[in-house]
Formats: sequence, C-alpha cells, structure tokens
Amino acid sequence: MEIVTLFFGEHAPLLARVSRYILPLIATLIVTRCVVSMLRERYEPETWAYLYLPGNIMVPLRHWECILGRARSVDGQVNDPSVERLHACLIRDASGDWTVYNLGRGETYVNGELVPMGGAPIADADVLTMGNASARFVDLTEEERASLLKYRHAPGRRVRPSVTLLLLTVFQLILVLQQLTYNPGAGTGVAMAFAIMATVQWGYFIVLRSSGQTGFEPELLALFLSSVGMSVAASKTPDDMLKYIILFLVGVSLYVFLCLWIRDLGRVKSVRLYAFIAAVGMLAVTRLVATPRNGAYSWIELGSQLTIQPSEFVKVLYIYAGAATLDRLFVDRNLIFYIGFSAACVGLLALMGDFGTALVFFVTFLVISFMRSGNFATAFLAVGSAVLAVMVVLSLKPETLSRFEMWGHVWEDIYDKGFQQVRAMSAAASGGLFGQGAGNGWLVDIYAAETDMVFAVVSEEMGLITALSCVVSILAMAGFAVRNASAGRSSYFVIAASGTVSMMLVQVILNVFGTMDILPFTGVTFPFVSVGGSSLIACWMLLAFIKGCDTRARGSFAVKRPERFSGGQGVEDPGQDYDDADADGYYDDDSDGYYDTGYYPQGGRR
Amino acid sequence: MKKVTTRSLAVLLLAAMVVAGLGIYIFRLARDGGDWATFYANDSVYSKGQLNRGVILDRDGEVLATASEDGFHYADDASVRRGCLHVVGDLGGNIGTSVLSEFRPEIVDYSFITGTTTEDPQIQLTIDAEVSAAAYDALNGKKGTVAVYNYKTGEIVCLVSTPAWDPQQGVTFDLDDPAYEGAFINRALSSTFTPGSVFKLVTMAAAIENIPDIWQQTFTCSGEAIIGGQKVKCTGHHGTITVEQALAHSCNVAFGEIARQLGGELITRYAEAYGLTTTHEINGHITAAAGSVPAGSGDGDAAWEGIGQYKDLVNPYAFMRFMGAIANGGICVEPTLLAGRSAGSTRLMPAATAQRLSEMMSYNVQLEYGAGSYPGLEMHAKTGTAEVGDGTTHAWFAGFITNANAPYAFVVMAERAGGGYYVASPIANKVLQKAVAVLD
Repeated sequence: MEIVTLFFGEHAPLLARVSRYILPLIATLIVTRCVVSMLRERYEPETWAYLYLPGNIMVPLRHWECILGRARSVDGQVNDPSVERLHACLIRDASGDWTVYNLGRGETYVNGELVPMGGAPIADADVLTMGNASARFVDLTEEERASLLKYRHAPGRRVRPSVTLLLLTVFQLILVLQQLTYNPGAGTGVAMAFAIMATVQWGYFIVLRSSGQTGFEPELLALFLSSVGMSVAASKTPDDMLKYIILFLVGVSLYVFLCLWIRDLGRVKSVRLYAFIAAVGMLAVTRLVATPRNGAYSWIELGSQLTIQPSEFVKVLYIYAGAATLDRLFVDRNLIFYIGFSAACVGLLALMGDFGTALVFFVTFLVISFMRSGNFATAFLAVGSAVLAVMVVLSLKPETLSRFEMWGHVWEDIYDKGFQQVRAMSAAASGGLFGQGAGNGWLVDIYAAETDMVFAVVSEEMGLITALSCVVSILAMAGFAVRNASAGRSSYFVIAASGTVSMMLVQVILNVFGTMDILPFTGVTFPFVSVGGSSLIACWMLLAFIKGCDTRARGSFAVKRPERFSGGQGVEDPGQDYDDADADGYYDDDSDGYYDTGYYPQGGRR
Repeated sequence: MKKVTTRSLAVLLLAAMVVAGLGIYIFRLARDGGDWATFYANDSVYSKGQLNRGVILDRDGEVLATASEDGFHYADDASVRRGCLHVVGDLGGNIGTSVLSEFRPEIVDYSFITGTTTEDPQIQLTIDAEVSAAAYDALNGKKGTVAVYNYKTGEIVCLVSTPAWDPQQGVTFDLDDPAYEGAFINRALSSTFTPGSVFKLVTMAAAIENIPDIWQQTFTCSGEAIIGGQKVKCTGHHGTITVEQALAHSCNVAFGEIARQLGGELITRYAEAYGLTTTHEINGHITAAAGSVPAGSGDGDAAWEGIGQYKDLVNPYAFMRFMGAIANGGICVEPTLLAGRSAGSTRLMPAATAQRLSEMMSYNVQLEYGAGSYPGLEMHAKTGTAEVGDGTTHAWFAGFITNANAPYAFVVMAERAGGGYYVASPIANKVLQKAVAVLD
C-alpha cells in the first residue's frame, strides 16, 4: 500500500476502485479506434505497370504477380477467344525486373520471340503476344510511381495513432494502479516493467512517425494485448517482471528485424530452404532433448531460469517457409513438398505429445494449402494427409482422448478432470463485466491458468469487456489481413499474413472455448496475452507478417514504398527509406483527387 | 493473384467461428453465471469452501444469518435459528430446498454485470423470524410443518419444519436417531402425506361444480355405510344432514356418497387442477414435491379417495397454495420467499366456487370448531385426521384468515400426532395470533 500511495497519492484506494470501471472503457476505446482506423482507411491498390491492349484498352497491373488470360478470375483479363483462360503470368522481382511465363497450352511471345519454359524477361515498351492478341507492356518509372503515390492516402489521418497510444498509456497506468492496490506481491518491479513497456512503445512510435510512417493499428493492438498479458504476469509472479520485460524487448526487437528483413522479397526467398530445415530440425531436437511435462515433450530447460518452447518459434518458421510466390504455386512438386513439410511438423508435434499446437498447425496448414493450391485434387490430398496426422495425434495420447470425453461435462467432475475448467468458469463469472481488479484474482494461482486459461484470468481481473476486447483485437488483425490481401504485392505476403492470422484465430478458438468447455481443453496459448516467453516472442515475430501485407501508403515499414524501388538496380539501403520526402502529399484533405483507374501518369502513352 | 486474395476469405470462416463461440459463451454465462460464480472454489466469495460474505435478513430486516471471513453466524435466538433452519439452510448443505442451497447467487448479489464484486451483499426474505420461532415452539417437539403465506402478496412468512436442530452447533445428532427422522428435509416442501379430511375440500369443490342438486341433497349417517362393497366408517352418528353440515362434521359417510356420485376420475382431475399432483417452484429455484391422487376405480375406492384416504398423498406447500386460492377468490398468488419478488398468479377455480368453499370453511368454525378457539381471527378452516394405516394419524389443520391486515393462508401438519382439531388447530391458532400481532 505504501508504494501505491507513493505513485498515486493518498486517494489511491478510491482511484483504484473507480478505475475498475474506467479500464474496460479505455480497452474498448483502444480497440474500437484501431478497428475503425483499419476499416475506414482506403485500401487503394498500387499500380506497378500497364498493359495496353488493342483498342486502347488499358490493363493496370496491381500486383507483382499477375495472371493474364481470358478467365474472369485473372488479374489482367484479355477478352479474345484465341487467349487461354489462364494464359500467361507476369512476375516482378524484388529488384523491379519483370519476367513473363507461359501457362497452359497456349503460346506467348515477347517482341515476336516465343517465351520458353523458364520464362522470358519483359521490359518497358515490349510487345506481349498471347494468341492473336498483342499488348504493349509499359513499366512505370520511379518518378511516375512517386507521382501516383501522391494520390494515395496514408492511414492515421482520421483516427490518429498518437491518441490511441495515449489511451494505451492510460490503460497501462491503471493496470499499475490496480496491481499495486490489489496485488499484495506487486511492488516497484511491476511499475518499472510497465514503465519500460510504455517507453518502448513511445520510442517506437516517435522513431517511425518521424520517418513518415502513419499506420500503427496492428502494433497498437499487439501492445494492448501485451499490456494485458503483462498484468497477468504481474498477478502470477510479481517478482519476476524483469524476465518478462526482457522477453518483451526481445520479441519487439525480433519483430522490427523481421519487418526489415521481409522488405526484400528476394532476400526472403533466398533463405526459405533454411527455414524448412530449421523448423523440422528444431522440432526433432526438441523431441530428443525435451524435459517431459504432463506427458508432453515440448519444453527445453536451459538452466534453472530459462525454459523455451521451440514449437512456438517453429510457428514463425512454418509461416515463413509455407508462404510462397505465385511462380512456385504453379509447380505441383512445390505443393507436394509443402505437404511433406507440414506432415513432418505435425508428426513431430504428435511425437512430442503437443496436441494443441499440432491442431494449430493443422488448421494453418489447411488455410495455407487452400490458398496455395489451384485445384481440388491437391486440396483433397492436403485435407486427407492432415486428417491422417490428427488421427495419429489422437491415437498417440490417451490423456488427450480423456479430455475429449470430459468435453461438455466438466461440471460432472469438479475434483479431477474438470478441475481447471470449472474454476476458470467460476472465476470468469465472478468478474462480471468490469472485473475484480487487476491483481485481485485467484484463478491465476491454478495450474497453467496464466497460459491455457488466460481468457478466464482476464475476465476475472479485468472483466468480460476487456477480455472480449482482447478477442476483438485478434479478429481485427484477421480482418485487416484479409482486407489488405486485395492490394497485396506478392502472394507470398498475402499467404503469410493469412496464415498468421489463421494461426492466431485457431489459438483464440482453442484457448477461449477450451477453457469455457465449448471445445475440448487443449492447452493452447492466447496470442500476446498468455504468459510465456517463447509464445510472446513468437507472436511479436508473427506480427511482422501482418505488417508485411499492409500496402497502404506509409502504412507499414515492413513494406517498401513503391517510389523507392529503383528499377533493375537491386536492393538499396533500407535505412534510406525512412526519409520523409514530402509529407504534405499524404495529409491532403482533398479526398476527391485520390487515385482511380482512369488516371494516366503521363500524356501520350496511348 | 486474384485467386489467392479471394481465397484469403477463408480466414473469415475462422473469424466467424470465434464470433459464434463467443455467442455461445455469453449465452451460457448469462444463463449459468450465477451457478458458476457461487461454486465453492470461487475464492472471491468463499473462504475454505464456506461463503465469506452475505447477510440473510427476515422481512423486518432482522438478521437470520451472516457470512463473513470469520465464519457463519445465525440469529441470536435459539428458536429463530431452529424455526428458520429449513428456509435459511445449514453450512453443510444438508437442506437442499434452503436459501443457502438454492439462492447463493442472490446471497452474494451476483449479476452478469457486476459478477460477485458487491462487497456487502444482502438478501431479504419474506420469512418472519418471530412467527417462525412461534411455529417452532408451537410444534413443541412434534414432527411436522407449519406453512403460512400472505395470499394477497404471495409472501411466505413461515415455512417451519421439525425436527430441526441448532445450525450454529452443526449436525451433532446421529442420523439414525428416530427423534431426528427426516431432519434434513423441509416437510412442507419435500414430503407428501396422507391428507385425510382436509382433502374433502377438493371433493367439495368438485361437487359444487358437478352435482347441480348438491345443496338440496341430504345424507344419512348411521356411523358407517357400505359403498361399492366397501365399509366406510365414520367418526360418529351424524344422522340426516346437509352438505354444509357434512363438511363441518367431516362426515365420511356423506363424503363417501358424494365421491361415489362424482367418480374417482373426476376427483383426481380436480386434485390436478388445484396443483396438488404437480411440483411447484418457488422463485424459480426451490421445488416443492408433487403429491399423487390416483383415481379409485370402483365406487368404494372412489369414496375413500374423496375422503382423503385411499392412496392420496398431498404436499403441504401445494395444499397451502390451494388454501390461498380459495381465500383470494379463486386466484392463487404464487408464493415467494425473496422480498420484493413477485411470482405472478394462477387462477385455480372460478370465483363462485371459491366463495362457496370459503363460506363453508367459515361455517365449519362456527358450527364445529368454535370461533372462541381463535380469538380475534376471522378463521376459515378444515381439520384433517389422516389414518396412516398403523393406528396413528396425521393431524391437519388448513385454511386461512380474512382479518383485514393479515390475509394469511396456512397449513399445519403434525406427523402421527393425533387428531386435527385437538393437535393441529391449537398450533395454527398460536402461529396466526403471532402473525397478526407482528404485523401491527
């Protein structure tokens, strides 16, 4: 109590009591602001090149990977009976060079020369011929892209991220107040941990904002979730906050690194093979050296203080390796390789006895393979092999099966198999909408509550509204990824983002509904909120993939600005991209002038 | 690319599952949250498995029990503790129909919005501590029950069951001790008993509505009669009497004959209509047991059924509802135990039938029981002395008073304790005198 009056003055107890009703309000505001910002900002596609078809028909190429053909589902439609439904594919590499590939049975020519199996380069002013149709390929220069960009809108104008960040800081302040008031074990360590988190988030914001970035919704949501998670950690082990904040810092650092890394698709692709090997290797090593806990071989103990769960990091590798560019999607053996890779991962998780993570991988696999595969046969193969993997998991662990038997009947066995869940439900109900106060709960002392039943812990201490805000945060990230997909540059980023949010959604489903006996209890973490170093770091790394699909102007530092690519010059210094060239272009309130398809960069191109 | 981006919509399928699951969760939380929150492991309201907050008050605000971190404290008065035991409940959870067993969410003031965050929750009951203590004392060691409720508001002021024990001491007796037979159940709610002559009110109601010349008929009682081949014995030689006199004298010969005219099926249907063969819920939680009134097949069985013997079994609480309906013009205001909660009302019979029965029950008192037995009470009642089959009898006294400020319906039942008039009626008088006095 002394510390709390030191920080918050004499009236701290009264403040804490009142703050219990303010906390959910601020949580709702933070999440609502992020959601509104994500929904209301325009998602304007970028344009990378044009095709001019006979009759002055202009086809803008909005992605780095574009399929041309007669079908309606293609990116550049050519209405000519001599053109195949899926005729050719134009792919722009990270350095700005375009390659054309022939698909299917038709023939494709560049300047009259037949495009061979391995594709042919195509450059500005070249003539592309498909069947009887000829089109002129027009690449955009750096200046043209820059001038186009002026007509795209940057996020953050309607819903200012600085205000949201301020609200988040107030949210964290209230958590500290409540922890110091209600949690007898909480002291300076808890206050310091939140102070460091707040410093990091403001530092991050100031650096990026001053370098011209204006899109912060995914990070703000992740920071909100991490704050909730840190409060749960403070409730569980208030003396161990230093460790938690270090893990948080590591997570954020790796997130920034990964964001910078995926700016260059060529670089990403060049190490994919290592990601495959590392993923399988890490799981295999874990199975061999892990210390078994409750029959699961998921944790490696490094000394007495540090325990890591490598399967969390494999999630990042799995997404990194599993996403693919369009050119790879047309080669069947790539998909077969991916299925084999997935089977290896799920199989190893089955051997480790980590049913929950295996299930997370399984559903992520379904989503990624659905997005990757072109036809039903491969999808069927995918589902078949994955179902097989789940059957393996089920047959391996009798403990897992017994949890399925308890499903829907936890109140019938309150002393043994339903022990954790009935307590979780009881605690969650007792929190009501506003909660008992951060640090004022008892559920967190139940085994694994701070990880597997964290939704109930949050409900108890911070109330149902804040707990639901956490779920909505993940839903918002999912909606964001889907919405950004239509303006994605490469299918790699679209698949990676979709895979990431799928993974998070499955974790939410298994965590929340497993705790509340709506699904079998599988012991999966809630992204960002569950206390656990490996999980926290992995979630922050995964966030990079969500940032990676955000192609809004100045939306994400994980995405290079289109005008910064110098065609054919290779990769430039990433640091250079932070320079704020012309800020006024983005804050133009004249919303009429935004880019539309009829805009021509320069006259005389027709 | 377009195909890939379109297929990213698959993610929304998972998002929809999240939303659907949350819908299920919130629905269940709204429905069962009170039960979850009052699970004994919830340390926010329990300490070492016992409630650590909540005060249970009687209708006047007198404390019946207080839960705190220090333990559980009942009322100071020993008779109040015992008299209210079966309503309040004990910490061992032995009494399933008690407030402690069934209204824990209300005790800790649980709600969907505030959870269990109320710091000093209170629950007020309609029970009156003094009346309950008086009823406990009036039963004076007999096994039985006294149930009293306000038939205009539905408030249950007394729901005493004996044998009881001092809940502050805990269960110190041997469960096999015959003196404590059925101590864990509230006889008013969880038991059914042979009703004997109080059941004649059901038969009478059926006769009023189904035998047009019932008021013109006379019955001749010579102490016994043969109906349908069975001998029906009476308590005396009543001679030639009207139906009003037959009810007042509780003449078995006359009611055997009326029952024969009605038939067993019809009497059973009336018992059903008056709620004597179904369960009843108090405030949606506490359940009163269903009685059973099987139809006698021949005239003899029908006669015994109409007299309240045969296989008839009646729950005292259900019978109290029936009394309340007669008192209130045929409409039963559903009883409630929680102050300020209205439980609605049910019409059990036409107003004319209720009026007739009410007049006859008043006539019973004037002609047979003696108005002087109930000084100051406008008593309407019927006695019952139910033969159990082993030579002992349950003593019943059921009815209501119409004093302007004290509209109470009641049932008194003393198990194997003798005759209705000599045993049960004085108990009812004592309790109702107290109830009338307390209200002023």
